[in-house]
Amino acid sequence: MTKFSNPSKFLGLVVALGMKTIKLRYKNSFLGFLWSMMNPLIYLIIFTFVFGNVFTEIDRYPLYALTGLICWIFFSTTTIQVIESIISSAGVLKSINIPTIAFPLSAQLASLISLFLSMIPFLIMMLFFGMKLGWETLLFFPVLLLFTCFTFGVSLILSSFNVYFRDMQLAWSSFMPAIFYATPIAYTSSLIPEKFLWLIRLNPLYHFVGAFREIFYFNQAPSLIQFGLLSLLGIIPLVLGFLIFTRLEKGFVSQY
Amino acid sequence: MMEMEHGREIIIEAKKLSVSFLIQRHGINNIKDFIITMGVKSPFEKKTVLKDLDLTVYKGECLGVMGRNGCGKSTLLRTIAGIMTPDGGTLTVNGNVAPLMALGVGLEPELSGLENIKLVGTLMGLTKKELKNSLASIVDFSELTQDEIEMQVKRYSSGMMARLAFSIAVAELPEILIIDEALAVGDLGFRKKCAKRINEIKAAGSTIIYVSHHLDEIKNICTRAIFMEDGKISVEGDVNTVCSYYETHLKPKLKPPLATGV
Repeated sequence: MTKFSNPSKFLGLVVALGMKTIKLRYKNSFLGFLWSMMNPLIYLIIFTFVFGNVFTEIDRYPLYALTGLICWIFFSTTTIQVIESIISSAGVLKSINIPTIAFPLSAQLASLISLFLSMIPFLIMMLFFGMKLGWETLLFFPVLLLFTCFTFGVSLILSSFNVYFRDMQLAWSSFMPAIFYATPIAYTSSLIPEKFLWLIRLNPLYHFVGAFREIFYFNQAPSLIQFGLLSLLGIIPLVLGFLIFTRLEKGFVSQY
Repeated sequence: MMEMEHGREIIIEAKKLSVSFLIQRHGINNIKDFIITMGVKSPFEKKTVLKDLDLTVYKGECLGVMGRNGCGKSTLLRTIAGIMTPDGGTLTVNGNVAPLMALGVGLEPELSGLENIKLVGTLMGLTKKELKNSLASIVDFSELTQDEIEMQVKRYSSGMMARLAFSIAVAELPEILIIDEALAVGDLGFRKKCAKRINEIKAAGSTIIYVSHHLDEIKNICTRAIFMEDGKISVEGDVNTVCSYYETHLKPKLKPPLATGV
């Protein structure tokens, strides 16, 4: 029916929009994408100084914190960018017949590209902090794929509601620090009292951060049970996200 | 209906078409209701913009659309373009639509003219190959110099922006071209060129739907016109008839009660 029913045309659209986002993000700045490294670096410095001496039982603390931080930065920037992707394209969406989903997808793509770009300096840093490369390092890719599914699912739900209630965007940014501290990024879950451990296990990020750490910090492959759990955590939000999105999409145009 | 149109191919047909908007009511309770009912029920009121509208557009004709602000012209065009979905009646559109709802849609101020041609072209549904083929003609048509085309669009004047946007929109020959008051900018030379291109598109057999408040433009381009009031077509017919109706109908409203200008 529409011009974008053809899958390759649709893909071309998503890629073009994603590349535009990347291009715009680092245009007019001297250091370009190096700035995107600043935020995690500052966190890392703070963590190392503040907690490095507290959590002395954690071996190679900077590496430990960095693996968690990379995860967190990906999750937080993606959700924030995807949430506003629909309403910030309202002008286009009400003037041209384009599948709405192209915009959240392109935002997701842009942040994946950003992650891959920043993985190069991050890898160098991780090696410096004592990471060992092995065959299990390659498992980063499947875990990242599942993590992307999870992140995109959550973002899609938030972005769909955000079209109707812009509160979503504001609420999410104030909610972020709570999620940050509820996830073992700077600390280990072994510091949490036994009776509260179930609580932290309800946080999907706990499991994803855990898997990334297995790979980069402990040089171990996540177990099959872990992979099964991560698959569920990735696929359920993704399916739910698509269902909610298609359900709410019909009313979007009235809200632009 | 009209004799001269007998035996012509129908390209757009609307029967009892109704289109409505969701109007939001604010409040905490409504957010709760919204989440429970998933956006179908309470927090929104329906405002019907188009009511039981019947319209037939024939292939190759140029239809003028007139009416006061807020009478549903843009909603009608958006529905034809597939941006809005009807919630009553039927609408058949037999062809691909190139909507020019506003000039400058999708233009990214930070990018250069050239990058914008690629971006907006993609948004308009052109493939990479089509873009490559028509790039030169787009640049040529826009009459922008090499320097200007490599300049960031944020440094363009509104006329230059209009040139760029129109050039991209008419690059590929659309089956149905929708123009919504979009050409009111640009200098005289470019407006003449637009009119010429519109006539070319017309001559090539495309259908054009043209919204404007400028009677001269409508008379120049269109053969048939409709006048809309409150989401319905109140007058339909020969362009001169509709234009004179428009003039008489809107005349009293054009006089401001106080001499305060516009």
